[in-house]
Amino acid sequence: MTSIVAADHLSKWYGQVIGLNDVTVTVPGGITGLLGPNGAGKSTFMKLVTGQLKPSKGTITVLGEPIWGNPALYHRIGFCPEQDSFYERMTGLEWVTALVRLNGVADAAASAMAARAIGTVELTDAANKKIGAYSKGMRQRIKLAQALAHDPELLILDEPLAGMDPIARRRTIRLIKDWGRAGKSILVSSHILHEIESMTANILLINQGRILAEGNVHQIRELIDEHPHTVHIKADRTRALAREFLAHDDVLSLRLEEGAVVVQTGRPDAFYARLTDLAASGEHGTIHEVTSPDDNLQAVFQYLVKS
Amino acid sequence: MTPSVLASAVRVFDLSLGQMLWSRRSIFLGLLLGGPVVLALALRIISSLYGLPINGAQPEGATIFGMMVWLLYIRFIVPILGVFYGTALIADEVEDKTITYLFTRPIPRSAVLLGKYLAYLVCTVLLVLPSVMLVFFLIAPTGGSSVAAAFPSLLADFAMLIMGLASYGAVFALVGTRLKRPLVVGLVYAFGWEPAVLLFPGYLKRLTVMYYLQALVTHEMPQDSAVSMVLQLFREVPAIPTSLVSLAVIIAVTLWGAGRAVEQREYVLEQ
Repeated sequence: MTSIVAADHLSKWYGQVIGLNDVTVTVPGGITGLLGPNGAGKSTFMKLVTGQLKPSKGTITVLGEPIWGNPALYHRIGFCPEQDSFYERMTGLEWVTALVRLNGVADAAASAMAARAIGTVELTDAANKKIGAYSKGMRQRIKLAQALAHDPELLILDEPLAGMDPIARRRTIRLIKDWGRAGKSILVSSHILHEIESMTANILLINQGRILAEGNVHQIRELIDEHPHTVHIKADRTRALAREFLAHDDVLSLRLEEGAVVVQTGRPDAFYARLTDLAASGEHGTIHEVTSPDDNLQAVFQYLVKS
Repeated sequence: MTPSVLASAVRVFDLSLGQMLWSRRSIFLGLLLGGPVVLALALRIISSLYGLPINGAQPEGATIFGMMVWLLYIRFIVPILGVFYGTALIADEVEDKTITYLFTRPIPRSAVLLGKYLAYLVCTVLLVLPSVMLVFFLIAPTGGSSVAAAFPSLLADFAMLIMGLASYGAVFALVGTRLKRPLVVGLVYAFGWEPAVLLFPGYLKRLTVMYYLQALVTHEMPQDSAVSMVLQLFREVPAIPTSLVSLAVIIAVTLWGAGRAVEQREYVLEQ
């Protein structure tokens, strides 16, 4: 399979701080997960891949061409950035249409392409609402819509599931897998192994600005499982949720915070599956947001670096 | 194929104009532009009650209007608008972290700057012109002046204001893309450097926008007054064609420099 991204002795530093250190890696077509704790260099790598930053040393090519200073290449790339930033006064449809127009698409066609992308991320009902009124999950999905509206060959998704509720998370994972099956190449970053694993088996492990490993996710899976996984859940009825969680033996510990419950689980797969079912049933009220701090992953990386 | 800079700039303009018009900055500066209108209303009331004698003579409304355009708009409001909008053309998008969406599209980065500059120009013209028109219709009829007779000079004032907005906006776009603390640098340039240099004879004043804008002032100022003496000091001016060409060169060169800076600079967004 041809490579979609090729980095050769790629380094990036900000003054005295190293963001990425002598990385040589080839990313194949299909779906690839970029996995690493916060501050590992994921965002720096994503910014280099998307041509927002210029390499301090080495080279990077995307779809066979250098990306820095090469705007024509963005016809073939769609990027969903991590930051939760928008033109809040615009509606979702206006915003995506305006961005598609920047690809040189005429007004009517841009509007149709935007509407189709918004439909793909299942936001049609909210297309004419102002983005400022969107929930966190809707904001994530409208970002995905702008990335895929012009039908790019390569999608680059920086933490696309951050802050989504369980149902939106499941839908988005399904969408990403569908796009992969439809022949798009996707580079997706996350600090949560469970998320990456649900999309692809092909991962790049990054920490402290270096690629630690690349290949099949199952090879490190056993290591990850030795460390408990922490999940932070914002919900209406946290006590009822806590009672439900405690009935299962994969929950190792649990504490209540204001408007949230924080769970440590030894089997994230089972826990997330149950959480999604709970959210869908609405049995214990609305679940607003699910996040996972990266402490557990950090511990695994420390182990990997030492070994 | 990458769309041309101009075609891309027009699309960035479409995207940016609404955002700019309804920004907090526009609301604040719109209120500032209400100041001259309130002043004109007060002058109109005083004029109709007591007259407005300067050195014992009643100046024509067109003359007072000309002074207001020069002292309030050209010397104060236009540079203020240029500084606040021009230095923020790219900085606002960086601060809001929305620049990523523009820089990962198949358009030259310089088109982003140019499109936002065009949006600035339309936005500030839409803010300034209603204020100037209100002042004109409040002030022009005083002192026995005819509104119809003064109207052509209003059009000339509009043209001068647009040229001022275009020039200051381009200069401060360059400041905003090249320098740290652009707002401070811009304010020092507009309200420190320019007024100071214009007071002294020599060539330094040619490094100001105001020097060339002075040539475009069409109004006769009142004679034999302290105000006119100060104004005469400022009115060591080049010919109108020289001024127009110089301002066009300033706009082209500073926009080109700003565009180059945006093309080459890396924007690191805080996470």
